Amino acid sequence: MSPDLAMVIAAVALPFVVAALTPVVFRVLGEGTGFAGTVVALTSFGLLATQYGSEGTVGLEWVPSLDLALRFYVDGWALLFAMLACGIGALIFAYSPAYMHGESSLVRYYAALLAFMGSIVGVALAADLIAMFLFWELTSLASFVLIGYYTADDSSQYAARMAMLITVGGGLFLLVGLLLLSLVASDVLGSGAAFNLAAMLENPETMQAALRERGLFLPVLGLLAIGAGTKSAQVPLHFWLPNAMAAPTPVSAFLHSATMVKVGVYFIGRVRPMLVSTEWLFLFATLGLTTMTVCAILAVASTDIKELLAYSTASHLGLMVAGFGFTSVYGAETGVFHLLNHALFKAALFLVAGIIAHEAGTREIDELSGLRHDLPVTAVITTVVALSMAGIPPFNGFYSKELLFEAAVEASHHHDIGLLGWLYPAVAVFGSIFTVLYSLRFLSLFFGERPEALGHVHRPPVTMLVPPAVLALLAAVVSVDPQLAVDAIVQSGLEATAVEPHAMHVGLPTSYSPALGMSAVTIGVGLVAYPSYGRLHDAIRSIPRAVPPIGASWWYDTAVDGLSDEGRAFAETVHDGTLRTYATWTLTATCTLALAGFVAAGAIVPTELGVEVSLAIALVLLVAVIGGVAVATAGSHIAGVLTLSILGFMVAIFYILASAPDLALTQLVVETLVLVIFLLVIEEIPERYEVEIGAVARDAVLSVLVGATAFVTVLVTTGTRPDGPSEIARAYAEQAIPRGGGANIVNVTLVDFRGFDTLGELAVITLAAISILTLIVMRDRDGDRTAIRDGDELTGDDSAGPPSDGGADE
Amino acid sequence: MTTVIMRTTARAIVPIILVVAISLFFDGHNLPGGGFIGGVLTTTAFAIVYMGFGLDFLERGILGRDVDPGKEPSRDRVVLAYRRLFAYGFALAVASGLAPLLFGKPFLTQTFAMLEGVPIYDHLEVASALAFDFGVYCVVVGGLLTILSVVGAE
Repeated sequence: MSPDLAMVIAAVALPFVVAALTPVVFRVLGEGTGFAGTVVALTSFGLLATQYGSEGTVGLEWVPSLDLALRFYVDGWALLFAMLACGIGALIFAYSPAYMHGESSLVRYYAALLAFMGSIVGVALAADLIAMFLFWELTSLASFVLIGYYTADDSSQYAARMAMLITVGGGLFLLVGLLLLSLVASDVLGSGAAFNLAAMLENPETMQAALRERGLFLPVLGLLAIGAGTKSAQVPLHFWLPNAMAAPTPVSAFLHSATMVKVGVYFIGRVRPMLVSTEWLFLFATLGLTTMTVCAILAVASTDIKELLAYSTASHLGLMVAGFGFTSVYGAETGVFHLLNHALFKAALFLVAGIIAHEAGTREIDELSGLRHDLPVTAVITTVVALSMAGIPPFNGFYSKELLFEAAVEASHHHDIGLLGWLYPAVAVFGSIFTVLYSLRFLSLFFGERPEALGHVHRPPVTMLVPPAVLALLAAVVSVDPQLAVDAIVQSGLEATAVEPHAMHVGLPTSYSPALGMSAVTIGVGLVAYPSYGRLHDAIRSIPRAVPPIGASWWYDTAVDGLSDEGRAFAETVHDGTLRTYATWTLTATCTLALAGFVAAGAIVPTELGVEVSLAIALVLLVAVIGGVAVATAGSHIAGVLTLSILGFMVAIFYILASAPDLALTQLVVETLVLVIFLLVIEEIPERYEVEIGAVARDAVLSVLVGATAFVTVLVTTGTRPDGPSEIARAYAEQAIPRGGGANIVNVTLVDFRGFDTLGELAVITLAAISILTLIVMRDRDGDRTAIRDGDELTGDDSAGPPSDGGADE
Repeated sequence: MTTVIMRTTARAIVPIILVVAISLFFDGHNLPGGGFIGGVLTTTAFAIVYMGFGLDFLERGILGRDVDPGKEPSRDRVVLAYRRLFAYGFALAVASGLAPLLFGKPFLTQTFAMLEGVPIYDHLEVASALAFDFGVYCVVVGGLLTILSVVGAE
């Protein structure tokens, strides 16, 4: 069955459309907008559900001349991820109104959340590299807006910037990787397939062989891994995820546990059939297992429940990456099945954390205990999902972790990897022990003595309790009958990500296997070590304090602070508030770049000028030159401005003599306006400047440079002109009256033949006016604090602004 | 600058400049001129009014409204009108570009019609590009005047 285009597009577009309408919806529904979000999410879910069982590519032409299309690829893996996003999205929207009660800027919150959901569905279904990248970056943008939700809170802004820098920075690596991939694909599969991911995945061996042949396999693998690794918070770029917990808890549950951070994992699974190899195994198994272990250890060191869950999320993402890293079919099973399991238990745990924070008023682990007395239902939910997170049988997390152990053991059977064959299973067990530890610690919030310091804990409203309960119920169903989930969706996801898929069977083990032994060791050691949790916690916390560079965020802070300081120092040199400095830097840079461009392109060749100038033109130009000299030697500003306009009017006369009446008119009116404006502002300018001799020399050199650049540019641009009117010029001249209906070719060209250019120029004028307005309004808003310095700066800047805007336009 | 000579001259030349600007705008399709040139010339007329009579003259003298002297220039009613002018002008240009899409033509396609037997003019050409050009005119006048009046008030 092939997918239905209308349904797929509707599922992707609906959240975006409603996101745009959020202000209107909010006006009607107020805080109940969240429930409208639930309806949207369920509708998208339903639309996707109609495509259940279908497989194939559908698409719309987008830019046919570039072979770009908006293609969607539907298969089990895409549907699993997209439906997961919509399903959890529906629960998050239902949970939000109670949690966000009384918060401001809810329109922004819900609009970003909806746009985010649409982007995730887009990433899941995109079969086109460009569309995929666009949706990928949209998720980062939505995440930025949502992490920075508390705009007045500095730490929230810091976290939002950090997440943005890391994920968008990684996205750039991904972009380069995708472009390399498209170059190879257009060579091998034909230019029509340049951006067609679905076509690449249909020919995985051809693609991999072609990549290797061109020596691009490792670069592409590395670039895609960096892109996916930043998004999915893999070590050493994991540190943005715990910081992202500054977002409201529903956002953490949705973006930073269930969906956005899984985009990287999803993508790794997507390209797995194409790139799977020994290098793939080394890269992703190592990366995943390192992340899994390091972040599990850091989770044990956490003091805040959301921080614990964040590190735990990164650790589980590592588990999925490692799963996909192992090349055996167990590896793909691990990745796909754990993606589902983790979404079920982790989103529920975040929602529980939200309930605790909301009702108990604290998120400190040390201050929380014995919550089962106050939150009995929540305690039941937590028991199911926390044990699932720990991987205790028969809860659902156990099955996928068991698959990871199997894949780790299998690795040495498939590849000759020497010592790593032992190391992989050992690290997997070691990391999992910490998983057991922190899972039990989280569960212990609900058990034990209730501390006196904990005030009255309210019962959560039903709308906050139902979403985690639904998730826990689903987790319980998968726990009791894992084969049900496998048959429903995991099997078809496996077929898209595994190289040689087979029918997958999951269940409680009935006979001994190495994997079972590893699980037993994990749980056993975890339980034995649990009583010394406090000492472990303190020991891990003391390490980064002793050696700061071991923490990844230390590197981030150092790099960002260093760059900001350098940037500020540079800005103070370039933008020191006087117009002269601005002009010096801008003109020098422009001229140098232009000349360097000509040199690099080899455009400067000696040519004969061979210009014949009529006496009239020579006379006019002579007067212009004299005017130019007079400007430089003028005794006062008024004299300077007036002589400058002599120069301008002479240029206008030159245009008339060269039979360009439109140019002449434009030059005349612009010149007049400039003169008038100069006269208007001239009274405000000090009578004379005292200029140092060094500055005079600098200005002289600069003038010569600008003049030389203009001269060379004219020579280069006119030197290559063919003799007589070019084809375009002739066509314009012939078509102006029949097609444009105007005898003035210049005007017909401006408004008709090249109307798009004019539209662009209108946008420039509009932008210039808006930015000047904004600058001035913002300066007023800042008050008098910086008024004096900025005031001079702005007046100086703007008085030069309008004429140059107008002049640049024609 | 607000001398008697300036004011007297301004009184005489501003109307002439405006008329010339408008005729340049309308002639633009067949003779030298057009939206941009007309727009810049119109702005020049306003700039001369500002020079001769001060920034608040338009509101006080012509529209007959009271003006608070110390008000923020960007909140001024005249400035608001300029801002609207360039926004609407830009919208008009874009809309005139989008209109052909309704007839299945590419973005920014222009056409024209000759009207015969019109009184006085006898035959008159109506070009769809005129709408676009009027957008250009509005953006130029609105944009430059916004900048001029906001900066001029500093």
